[in-house]
Amino acid sequence: MAAETEAADGEEYESRVGASYTLSRLLQDTSARISLFLIAIISAGALFAFVDAEFLDYRLAETYLYHPLRNNVGARPLLPPVGLSNQFGEGVMAHPLGTDTRGRDIAVRLLYGSRIAIQIALVSTTIGVVVGTTVGAVSGYYGGWVDDVLMRFVEILYSIPFLVLVIAFMAAFGRELIYAMIGVSIISIPIFARLIRSEVLSIREETYVEAAQAAGVKDRNILLRHVIPNSFAPVVVQTTLQMGTNILIVAGLSFLGFGAQPPTPSWGQMLSIARNYMLPAPWFSVWPGLAILVTVMAFNILGDGLRDTLDPRLEN
Amino acid sequence: MSHLRYTIKRLLQAIPVLIGISSITFFLINAMPGSPVEVMLGPTASEELIAAAEERYGFDQPIHVRYVKYILAAMGGDLGRSIHYGVPVTTKIMERLPVTLLLLASSFAFAISVAIPLGIVSARRRNQPVDHGSRVVSLIGVSTPNFWIGLLLIIVFGYHLQVLPSNGLVMPLTPISEVEGATSRLDVLVQTAKSLIMPTIALGTLQMAAVSRIERSSMLEVLGRDYIKLARAFGVKESVITRKHAFRNAQLPVVTIIGLQLTSALGGAVLTETVFNINGMGRLIIQAVRTQDYALIMGTTLFFGVMFVIGTLVTDLTYAYLDPRVTYEGED
Repeated sequence: MAAETEAADGEEYESRVGASYTLSRLLQDTSARISLFLIAIISAGALFAFVDAEFLDYRLAETYLYHPLRNNVGARPLLPPVGLSNQFGEGVMAHPLGTDTRGRDIAVRLLYGSRIAIQIALVSTTIGVVVGTTVGAVSGYYGGWVDDVLMRFVEILYSIPFLVLVIAFMAAFGRELIYAMIGVSIISIPIFARLIRSEVLSIREETYVEAAQAAGVKDRNILLRHVIPNSFAPVVVQTTLQMGTNILIVAGLSFLGFGAQPPTPSWGQMLSIARNYMLPAPWFSVWPGLAILVTVMAFNILGDGLRDTLDPRLEN
Repeated sequence: MSHLRYTIKRLLQAIPVLIGISSITFFLINAMPGSPVEVMLGPTASEELIAAAEERYGFDQPIHVRYVKYILAAMGGDLGRSIHYGVPVTTKIMERLPVTLLLLASSFAFAISVAIPLGIVSARRRNQPVDHGSRVVSLIGVSTPNFWIGLLLIIVFGYHLQVLPSNGLVMPLTPISEVEGATSRLDVLVQTAKSLIMPTIALGTLQMAAVSRIERSSMLEVLGRDYIKLARAFGVKESVITRKHAFRNAQLPVVTIIGLQLTSALGGAVLTETVFNINGMGRLIIQAVRTQDYALIMGTTLFFGVMFVIGTLVTDLTYAYLDPRVTYEGED
């Protein structure tokens, strides 16, 4: 929505804004390039896992890698990564990151775990941004009873600790992934609503908004063309933080046993198993956390790059 | 409108929010499959036994009757009895609340005292090594699951170096005799500090990183404004500009984020308490959900709501103090 507005304005100001300008500026930034590359790889992995799991019944994994769900009777359990050894044996090239408690290949399970993380975060963040921005902008701009009603509702949603809300929600409706997605969406909405509202409260007082009002511009157009674009930069920062946060929340939910159910692998659930083997197999606790860290960090770096590109006030 | 009148108005507005929280939780909890009585008595219980227990706890009444009764009782401070623990919900909460408050206070103190200087230094020395360093630290901070930090800390400091306890939290007012190896109050406090270090870092790192990111970007935005350029043109020292001209104006988004971090920290406490086996509110909620302890889930949730409302009120008042442009009147 806001991107369209930028693109439309761009024609008047000659490519200082707009999607292609933003992208070309963004690609000049090395860390942003690396993060885009990482996100592409992780998303490709997640897509591969999604297609294989949903449509091919893990045939690709079985043929070319290892089955991510079934116990691997051929391999010893809790093997360390290649080059290390522990009480269970020496690490082997066949399982570069080691094996889990059932002899399953950790690398393959990490790959199939990426699917859960990406899928839930993407859907829930999108819903959070769209609904939250709308609610926050309307609330902050109109003030009065609209603000009161909307903000009370947002506050009610927000004041329930998010993990508990999602857990209670999933306990009530079911443990399928769809409920995790809805739950995480619900907790993303208030964050954007409140952020945008606080921006709008300031922007509302700006002269150019008064001028637009005096000129008889419709409220809807003032919101879309002036208020939202001007509060866009912090939303971009928050969106990337939220992609990361949502991946972290999903991991936390799985860690507590809410989310993808075994044997379907997810990063948080792998950590909750690894937790019981911290002394004999510490690396087992390391890999899933690293996977989360790298993925979330890639989104955050990209967001930083976008922020520098989108906010003209930062150009010196 | 004076701040006092605004405060009173907000407190009154909090009442419907709290009723809203209770309502959402009530209906959500009641959508759960199975009655808590069945869970409590197990699958072998006879139907008469279940019926008798349901009558005793009031589960035989229709849902709207239970709802009205619950809301009315809650207003009087009665949150019902925990079926699992067999004690009033408020008793259980009061037992667990100080633990979580201590953990939260310690984490926020850690987070804010590290984040604000880090963000300011980063903004002032943009693209210099200090900035890169602090940005890497905050990036890793916002990108790491707090329970994973907890696990890594336990592996290193709990198991390998064996310098910090990896289980539980010693409260500062615990009777001396109950703390292993303690002979004086000082010993207890040392134990408290030691048992608090790892959970604080695990829980506080995310808030620290999030706040320092916003602090940096907000300071950068303010430092790029015209009035700062004007101040520079007049030859005002950079340190004075940061302290007197930029700092206060840059804190608006920071206050929002700190306020927002409160609920994410409460959620984080659930995970941190699980990793370190700390018996606080977070673990209480998880146990309540697992045992389908209706009254306890609703009570703890409502309690988090009360804490949140106080937090938001403080955030909003800080807002008005920081930005005189924000007025609470004029909507009429």
